[in-house]
Amino acid sequence: MSELTVVGADVPRVEAVEKLTGDALYTGDLLLPGLLHAKVKASPHARARILRIDTSRAEALPGVHAVLTGHELDHKLGLYVVDKDILAKDVVRHFGEAVAAVAAESVETASAAVELIEVEYEVLSPVLDPMEAIGDDAPLVHPDLGSYAYVEAAFSPQPGTNVAHVQRVRKGDLDRGFAEAEWVVEREYTNPSVQHVPLETHVAVVQWKAGDQVTIWTSAQSPFTVRNLFCTAMRLPLNQVRVVVPHVGGGFGGKAGIHLEPLVACLSRKAGGRPVRLQATREEEFSLLPCRSALTYRIKTGVRADGTITAQQMTMYWDAGAYADYAVNVTRASAYSASGPYEIPNAWVDAYTIYTNKPYGTAYRGFGHVEFFWGLERHMELVAHAIGMDPLEFRRRNLLKPGSRTMTGELITEHTGDPRACLDAVAAAIGYGGLTDEEREHERRTGRRVGKGVATLHKAPAMPSFTATAAVVKMSSDATVVVNVALMEIGQGCNTALAQIVAERLRFPIDRVKVAIERDTDKDPYDWQTVASKGLILSGNACLLACDDLLRQAYDVAAQVLRANVADLDHDADRVFVAHRPQESVTFAELSIGYAFPNGNGIGGPLIGVGRYIAQGLTNLDKETGQGLPALDWTYGAHGVVVDVDPDTGEFDVLAISSAYDVGRVVNPGLVRGQAIGGMVQGLGTALCEGYIYDQQGRLLNPSFTDNKIPTARDLPARLDIAVVETAQLDGPYGARGVGEHPMISVAPAIGNAIQQATGAELLHMPMRFEDVWRALRSHEPIDNWITETPAGSCRSDLPGGAGQPSPRK
Amino acid sequence: MQISVTVNGQVCQRDVEDHWTLLRLLRDGLGLTGSKEGCGAGECGACTVELNGRTVNSCLVLAVEADGGSVRTVEGEAEQGRLSRIQEAFARHHAVQCGFCTGGMVMSVRDLLQRNPQPTVREIQEGIEGNFCRCTGYAQIIEAVLDVSGQLDDSSVGDLRHV
Amino acid sequence: MTAMFRYRAPRRRDELLELLAEYGERARVLAGGTDLLGDVRSGLARPAAVVDVKLVPGFGELAWSAAEGLVIRPGVTIDDVLRDERARSSYPLLAACAQDLASHQIRNRATVVGNVVNASPCADMAPALLCLGARAVISSQDSRREVPFTEFFTGAKRTVLRAGELLEEIVVPAQSAGARGSYRKLKRIKGHDLGIVGVAAMAKDGELRLGISSCAPTPLLVDGLTTRDPVDEVVAVARAAISPISDVRCTKEYRTHMVGVYVRRAMEEVA
Repeated sequence: MSELTVVGADVPRVEAVEKLTGDALYTGDLLLPGLLHAKVKASPHARARILRIDTSRAEALPGVHAVLTGHELDHKLGLYVVDKDILAKDVVRHFGEAVAAVAAESVETASAAVELIEVEYEVLSPVLDPMEAIGDDAPLVHPDLGSYAYVEAAFSPQPGTNVAHVQRVRKGDLDRGFAEAEWVVEREYTNPSVQHVPLETHVAVVQWKAGDQVTIWTSAQSPFTVRNLFCTAMRLPLNQVRVVVPHVGGGFGGKAGIHLEPLVACLSRKAGGRPVRLQATREEEFSLLPCRSALTYRIKTGVRADGTITAQQMTMYWDAGAYADYAVNVTRASAYSASGPYEIPNAWVDAYTIYTNKPYGTAYRGFGHVEFFWGLERHMELVAHAIGMDPLEFRRRNLLKPGSRTMTGELITEHTGDPRACLDAVAAAIGYGGLTDEEREHERRTGRRVGKGVATLHKAPAMPSFTATAAVVKMSSDATVVVNVALMEIGQGCNTALAQIVAERLRFPIDRVKVAIERDTDKDPYDWQTVASKGLILSGNACLLACDDLLRQAYDVAAQVLRANVADLDHDADRVFVAHRPQESVTFAELSIGYAFPNGNGIGGPLIGVGRYIAQGLTNLDKETGQGLPALDWTYGAHGVVVDVDPDTGEFDVLAISSAYDVGRVVNPGLVRGQAIGGMVQGLGTALCEGYIYDQQGRLLNPSFTDNKIPTARDLPARLDIAVVETAQLDGPYGARGVGEHPMISVAPAIGNAIQQATGAELLHMPMRFEDVWRALRSHEPIDNWITETPAGSCRSDLPGGAGQPSPRK
Repeated sequence: MQISVTVNGQVCQRDVEDHWTLLRLLRDGLGLTGSKEGCGAGECGACTVELNGRTVNSCLVLAVEADGGSVRTVEGEAEQGRLSRIQEAFARHHAVQCGFCTGGMVMSVRDLLQRNPQPTVREIQEGIEGNFCRCTGYAQIIEAVLDVSGQLDDSSVGDLRHV
Repeated sequence: MTAMFRYRAPRRRDELLELLAEYGERARVLAGGTDLLGDVRSGLARPAAVVDVKLVPGFGELAWSAAEGLVIRPGVTIDDVLRDERARSSYPLLAACAQDLASHQIRNRATVVGNVVNASPCADMAPALLCLGARAVISSQDSRREVPFTEFFTGAKRTVLRAGELLEEIVVPAQSAGARGSYRKLKRIKGHDLGIVGVAAMAKDGELRLGISSCAPTPLLVDGLTTRDPVDEVVAVARAAISPISDVRCTKEYRTHMVGVYVRRAMEEVA
């Protein structure tokens, strides 16, 4: 590969200027003639029968154009399990669920009308705890589960239960593995649901015009998925529905599926085709829109005294909430990744997706890995402590290496990536293994204790085995190009990275490449979704193929113009020329929209390169054993953390974080750093303070920034270090692989491990609020007010019967 | 109620409802959509504008309260299409990702630098703590502020460490 | 913001008090608006009239006199206090509490009067005003009364203010000027947050006062202490004075513990 000039350069974000001036338009900024405003009537109950809805007073209010209830709508929605109505029908299944909606001439009128809708409920006792939900006498969240359509190749709903999916992975012989162990350590780790908190709340504007021609403007991550799911639910041909997505104010997975669009569309239809806008309030964002699933992760590990893991049994209880949405696929992806970047000869996973009466879980940056790595990497620490081994050394001993097999049977090679290099890089950066003189002085001066911890991470894109995308590169008459893709720019920087890849391949300066901002399913080539850290590889490869296609077209015409063999041609930024007679050339500008000979004859035509790419060689997983090839690529990484902890109060401060990722190839260092630091800080929020708290009736108690804090600029650790390893991904564009989600994973366990090192506090629940640390230090009962007995909070104990204690077998 | 507000140097007269917020006046009344509503409760700062020389959450100010006053929004930051030094530094340091917080963030930084032309990192953090950013993790924003205030001596800031 | 109301902005004090009398319970006073407009948006407040006090001449003034002390009028923002050299240097505790209140944008708008009238158990300005011995001057169309802040709060979000009344002045006595002060606030993050536990301590001429927030239905004062009292005794007195609850922010047990720790540390700071 020749020297790269654009790929690897610190190119400023291509759409930064319009975002900095306020010119960038987001869905909520759009105005249409006749626009109506929608508001939703939400359920105040977690589980209730709807006995009666009276909309007459709302309908009579001047300025109201449409009032909708569930009974008018015969459309089921669902990504993998088709289990959700657009508006609740007969029953409500979670606090905040939409039971009716209004479109009116102003927001005020819509709000007033919503207040005039009377709903009579018979309140039922909700099932909130997933462990209770899988009990024999738990009420069913979906009594009709057996009648729902679902994606049969991948998922297994269990009718008559609250289990939406079970994923099993079987590698080796678990009994034999435990028999070989000298120690067995078992623990259970938990974390609550968490909100994504994009700064832009979900918003959709829809116009359902005559003849069932529908246009949807929406803040979505995946315009083609919105179109596909919308048309399935509405039974419309795909070419009658156009999805347009302008700038998106952050997604983090929460905007990956389909959300407000069908409801707004139905309001528009009922309002006679007037366009309707619905933008969620911040409070609605917490309970009308989905969240990240809670997880209870039980891990039992057999290990020899030399630190070799011989067996691991992993059981995941994913709290889907009221609808399966992405949670079933989170379960699937987490199951096949559940053992982390470690080689475990005998490993079993049983992962359950469980319905409860809570706001439902969806995709969230990390797709399950943030949650289960909390347990896994805390567990590795505790196992190391149990056998008296240094946790870093213990990890090194068990890491995947070339020749290892993953739990699903995939062979790891020297090209897969280097978890060891990442771990060593962060351990060195934080001075793992001891305190510096400065750190000792800090302890003396502050009375706080300094501790250091590490944690590893990995993740592969969670996606269908045949995930596809495409790119179109179109040249204009001045030899600039416009690139069309449907991978969304949601802040991650794909427009910039793809522009760099195109510029590199075409050998053009970056300012001659534009990646179109607004995505439009009528005009852009297909892309599955903007999720899973798969964009750089799949869309990057599609862009390369599109460039090659465009160059081939240019060369074909140039060969005729120059009367040369195509094989003898070469090009630079401006011209195609004969390699051995470079003075014989034709410019791209001359070729761009068709070449005209001096006599007026034209040949060729507009240069438009098309690149199509589909994931290669992946397979479905065996439903019984989980064996197969699910991973397009693995991005490995690690964090090293230094904390200081106040032993009197449990207050702690993250003093330093070092993070390392094997990104294959850095396409843009500023973008990599942006993902690394942004993800790390989002992980910090998950680690420190974020999480849904419910009362016993299933009402969400903290649906706002008042009691659901997210990190601010003051919460940034004082010292940051971002390192990259570049083990080229053989099928990645210029060797690159994705790193969008990974920085968020394992921040929390690295902090938990550092806190344990500093103080001995054994934390099993995330987030680690100061009080949690204080309680762990004092061996007080842990608080678990995630489902409180009163708004005053309650406790939930750890594993029953002391099964959580490490036990020597011999 | 009829009000008159000078917005980015332009005198604007509008009829507003008493309950309209300043943010609504800017967005719906004047078409200045660079100020965003992220929470409507004064927590996130995406609607930050300058009112009579002080930054405010425009979601927590009534439009009528701005009558006779002067407002500056992110749309007033670039002059005749030329980015301000703050905006240039933001672009240079990747201090923008999704862009939804950016308008408010730029207004807070502008206000901070007017009060304190050479803020320390700690002062920058305090100056922008009222502006949530879920994308960047803030570090590149802080670097941009250090740069625009002439305090970024170490040219390696912003680099990745290659292992 | 969807609730409808009439906005009134009287330019004279008597006109203001007349409006408050006229609307009674249906009026809400608008100063900084940072609490009120949030409550209107969420439907907690549904006033018929919102009466802006900021256009009354003099209402934005922060006055100091050696005789009376610091007089804080209804339009004075938290940031005004922080910018005022006299207020900062004479009442460091007031400044410490002001500095920890929310974010810069909120401090630019929120008023001291509004903070105490809102009467949240976690009101940041209350611990300082309690320690400093401040008084509330309350006016209505036909009355004027003074209430010490120890009697001002009557419950969570409740005060002695009656319909038609205005908290017209907060008077921070001159005797408290120069007292050493310390404010410790437990938050969930380092960035702006409500106090989960707040402890202010003020020491002057050997006397020690503690102002505690978020540990009872109202902010409260613990006085009758001296800086020479054994720390354990002071902690015991403080813990006896509070009545914390468990809520989504933390448990009663942790609040009780943290009050003890913060009282100890605050005493060390002001001793």
